[in-house]
Amino acid sequence: MIIKDVVCPFCGCLCDDLDVEVEGQKVIKVQNGCALAEAKFTGSGRLPAPIRRTPTGWDDVSYDDAIRETAEILVAADRPLLYGWSSTHGDAQSMGVHIAELIGGVIDNTSTVCHGPSILAIQEVGHPGCTLGQVKNRADVIVYWGCNPTEAHPRHMSRYTTFATGFFVPEAQKDRTVIVVDTRRTESAEIADEFIRIERGGDYEVLSALRAIVRGKGNVVPKMVAGVSREQLFRVAEICKKAKFGAIFFGLGLTMSAGKYKNVRNAIELTDELNRHTKFTISPLRGHGNVYGSNEVFTWITGYPYAVDFSRGIAFYNPGETTAVDILRRGECDAALIVASDPGAHFPHAAAAHLAKIPTVLIDPHMTATTPLCRIQIPCTIAGIDAEGTAYRMDGVPIRYRKVITSSYPDDADILKKIHDRIREVQGS
Amino acid sequence: MTELLVKNACVIDPLNGILLETMDIPVRDGKIVSSVSSAADVIDARGCLTLPGGIDSHSHVCGTKVNFGRYMSPEDMRAGRTARRGKMHVTSGYYVPTTFGNSYRYSTMGYTTVLEGAMAPLEARHTHEEFTATPHQDMLANTLFDGNWAIMESVRERDFKKTAAIVAWTLAAVKGYSIKLTNPGGTEAWGWGDDLSSIHDPVPNFNVTPAEIIAAMIEANELLGLPHSVHLHCNNLGKPGNYRTTLETFDLVPDKNNARQTLYATHVQFHAYGGTTWRDINSKAEEITRSVNAKPQIVMDMGQIMFGRTMTMTADGPMEFNLYCLHHNKWSNHDVELETGSGIIPVLYSKKSLVNCVMWAIGLELALLTKDPYQCLLATDNPNGAPFVKYPEIIGLLMSRRYRDEEFATLHEGTGQRTAIASIDREMDWNEIAVMTRAGQAKALGMAAQGKGHLGEGAEADIAIYPIRCHAVDPATEYRKVVEGFQKTMFTIKRGRVVARDGEVIVEGANSTFWVNPSVPEDLSVRNDPEFVRKFREYYTVRMDNYPVQDVYLPRGKCIRTEGAL
Amino acid sequence: MRVILETKVRPKPFLPIEAESIIPRNFLKGTDLTVYEGNKERALSEIFWIFVEGTAVSPDKVEVVLKGDTARIKRVGEYMDTGIIRIAGDIGMHCGNFMSGGLIEIGGNADAWLGREMLNGRIFCRGNAGHYCASGYRGEKHGMKGGSVEVMGNAGDFCAEYLTGGTVHIHGSCGDMPGVEMKGGQLVIGGDATRPCGNMKAGTCMVFGTVHYMLPTFRKTGTQVLPDRKVTMDVYTGDVANRGKGTLMIASRAHFP
Repeated sequence: MIIKDVVCPFCGCLCDDLDVEVEGQKVIKVQNGCALAEAKFTGSGRLPAPIRRTPTGWDDVSYDDAIRETAEILVAADRPLLYGWSSTHGDAQSMGVHIAELIGGVIDNTSTVCHGPSILAIQEVGHPGCTLGQVKNRADVIVYWGCNPTEAHPRHMSRYTTFATGFFVPEAQKDRTVIVVDTRRTESAEIADEFIRIERGGDYEVLSALRAIVRGKGNVVPKMVAGVSREQLFRVAEICKKAKFGAIFFGLGLTMSAGKYKNVRNAIELTDELNRHTKFTISPLRGHGNVYGSNEVFTWITGYPYAVDFSRGIAFYNPGETTAVDILRRGECDAALIVASDPGAHFPHAAAAHLAKIPTVLIDPHMTATTPLCRIQIPCTIAGIDAEGTAYRMDGVPIRYRKVITSSYPDDADILKKIHDRIREVQGS
Repeated sequence: MTELLVKNACVIDPLNGILLETMDIPVRDGKIVSSVSSAADVIDARGCLTLPGGIDSHSHVCGTKVNFGRYMSPEDMRAGRTARRGKMHVTSGYYVPTTFGNSYRYSTMGYTTVLEGAMAPLEARHTHEEFTATPHQDMLANTLFDGNWAIMESVRERDFKKTAAIVAWTLAAVKGYSIKLTNPGGTEAWGWGDDLSSIHDPVPNFNVTPAEIIAAMIEANELLGLPHSVHLHCNNLGKPGNYRTTLETFDLVPDKNNARQTLYATHVQFHAYGGTTWRDINSKAEEITRSVNAKPQIVMDMGQIMFGRTMTMTADGPMEFNLYCLHHNKWSNHDVELETGSGIIPVLYSKKSLVNCVMWAIGLELALLTKDPYQCLLATDNPNGAPFVKYPEIIGLLMSRRYRDEEFATLHEGTGQRTAIASIDREMDWNEIAVMTRAGQAKALGMAAQGKGHLGEGAEADIAIYPIRCHAVDPATEYRKVVEGFQKTMFTIKRGRVVARDGEVIVEGANSTFWVNPSVPEDLSVRNDPEFVRKFREYYTVRMDNYPVQDVYLPRGKCIRTEGAL
Repeated sequence: MRVILETKVRPKPFLPIEAESIIPRNFLKGTDLTVYEGNKERALSEIFWIFVEGTAVSPDKVEVVLKGDTARIKRVGEYMDTGIIRIAGDIGMHCGNFMSGGLIEIGGNADAWLGREMLNGRIFCRGNAGHYCASGYRGEKHGMKGGSVEVMGNAGDFCAEYLTGGTVHIHGSCGDMPGVEMKGGQLVIGGDATRPCGNMKAGTCMVFGTVHYMLPTFRKTGTQVLPDRKVTMDVYTGDVANRGKGTLMIASRAHFP
């Protein structure tokens, strides 16, 4: 059976035009998707049943027992951490927040290790953005800054930018100028009309210089700024000012290099400045499929997009203090629930190592690098493959994941609901 | 079967002509009935003011733009934090509170129905998700069509039936309630960083004018027989001299519906400015209300501003950019492909600012100079003019000249020369306030037929009981009692169930979302229009099959089928 | 009156404690206060040995002394308006948040957000300060508005971010981006600084050590001699990437005349 217009849950592009061929309970072929999508849909390595650590290895355990024990661990904790959330759907995320408020925990999502700095920047200066179709239909200048979509978001260029034809851009490659800014010549740089190579850590300086030039104060700019010539900066500023519609996309090269959120802020303020001359937008290239959804859900329930601390009952937010990596690195938390993410693979060693010292429960379909750090793992459905639910694309467009196969696994939202209800029972609330 | 009897209620029910009558209200299974058994639960209203549940006919509380306002404002979240308590979830925020924060505050003020002022169809799913998390109010969504490419093309072709068919398909697909036009045409121009300065400017590349879009959408709205009229945010919002645009727009509007207005003009305060720059801005509320008083086909809401910090958020992207250039505070913008735009800017309305004082006066003048309260409803365009928790103060200002005078004395000294507020004697009565906060909304939204905004037999039992004894209070002098009284109900009853009591929400909510599914003959349906389908496929970044909002997002959705004249 | 709070051994010493109740004024009515350890509310006496010496009739006469393992205690002195707090060792985050008067003296190091959004009063830290020393809160447009923060050692990144008023004096070096978004007040850095004053709008920053990675958007306007310090400063105005009218002064390589 071929299912049409399937949404790919892998990255923040949420391409929704995949044709997925299914035989029984197995995906056998994915069309239209990129290699990452194919791997996601046809992947293996799912944990068959809940497991609990023993002194020598793992025991199988029933879902009910695993859920009961998880609830007990969380209720007993003085500073429980609930982390992950980006590879699942909105109902699970929402239930996670309600558990956190119930137990006075800290809840954080994977933004903490990717676009958290972008959020901090947006909280300082706002975000002139748009949906991806606006770029596809209008943009004649595209800037990729500190990101390599060819590898990380393989269809971004063909669906939304460089190679996509749009209403006002009928001949994509001819009508669009592509600027790539990076510290190294990436694959994406190969197709750029203009490649700006910046010295490591020099993004802030280059952005400041561009802002000054666009403001007409270019005479202050020295001959070289972080390895970029004054001439190139002036040329690029001119291309941007002359654009009919410009769109900047940026990635971890900007958010995770020296200066972090101040780099993003500077890029946003450059965009603001360009809007006095023409139309310009800026957008983060979000990584995990529904990481933006976790920001949205957290925000409407708690007021904050990530790093929310309920230990005082009210919601408190202060990245650097209430972010998962920082809490783990300082050894603060005494229990953890990890859902739909793999901190064992993505966190700094010191942070991941603390997970192994405390009772950590993982709700995830696969055996991952986090599995060895856990006391209990509860397998569940994969949002977008054997479970449906809401996901938010990197530009904020909400899309409903489809369920392409039926499995015997429970949905993570249902597991979380049971944990939630069990906690209420234990608390007598 | 559940039964409830509200005894000794001092009722004002304008739609049923009841004015301060002390009576009992019997309720069975969520509806008002003629009598209940002796087994019914009893609430004693003790002679206090009892009104149909409040209805906000224009408020921004749910969806992409609102949530972005929260997302970018951790500084506001510090302001209104409450911990989990009883049945109440954690809340944060003052001018952009969390969904539960909004819902609890509305509920404790006696509001039971809210229309979200602007939903971009492409992002409708988000609005509906937040509706579910705003559990104590029945929700309706104004659906944005101001920069809709297919609409503009059909308007250019003067094919009203096609315009209507596109509206019908879209409303049904995104579970919307009504047609919203925000700066029609201007949001498309903003796609290029431009705006339109008159309703007769052509939209770049589309060759239609705002005037044509408005006229065509009014036609389409009435062809489809939608319960609400076209809901318009006029062009040129917030620009000195814009009252001309507003008057010109009002002059376009025919009287096409006997049951309600033909045009709902929202937050008109922002559209009633004289002068040519911020330096000589002045009130044109008299001109605007003269027009409205002569045109029963128009209903407006105040768009009142109140002093303090708040957030402006609107689909009107270019207007927000202008505001940004003025304030240099943070600015967010979010254009939505083929449909609309949006912008967000925090603002501080200050009594030291003459412009802000003039704005404050204009909102009140609009209400006080409009003869029929059904034609000027109370709203702040929450949170644009002020967060809705300021409504009780606005009620106080409308009911008491003395309160206005006292406030006026604290304003910028130039306010008197630019406005007429100081010379207006009118003090509104209880009935007029009831009209401006519920009955008028129910009529304007076409929701009276759904049992909203009145307490007649068969109505939904949405009831607000305020700790106000109308016969013992003189609003003209004791306005503080009025303000306090409207801040917290003794009881808010939602569909026959007490949901809030003395400022505390006491149950988990279970709201409904009302949406409209207009019937369209198969041969007119845009699903069968290959050109519409092709353009959708080529220019949207979401597949047509993934676009409609699935039923699962409206767990208690109420579909209104309309049979129009198509 | 002196109130001495000496930490007890805790079963989970890494749990942060939130102790905004520790301000001089609160001890006038006794020591029946609570703090939070993780998500649990605890009596002050569960966390500290409490010794009270003498009495006081007004809060300005109250001195609170913290001893022991105080590095994880946050929010000490938050909203403090008068009196004295002395911390023998290190102190946790947010010490002196919103402080409007009085003195906080820290013998060891201070963790991040020391004196955040401070309004008045004085903070003196003998050791190092963490990131965001004398800064603002996320999304807020104003940081520290008044008073003084003096750090004898080094400060971390984003020191005096959004500084709006008052003085911040770091005798040692600052990390990345001190004085970023500054819009008033005075920042003095005795040692080195990396990329100071990005996007600065107003105020004055002086760096007496070496500046690493000077931003390209500052315009040199001349030099100024500081006779009392016996140095010549290069004077810049900026940040011109913004509509900056701030002053950045950096010790000149040229010798004092």
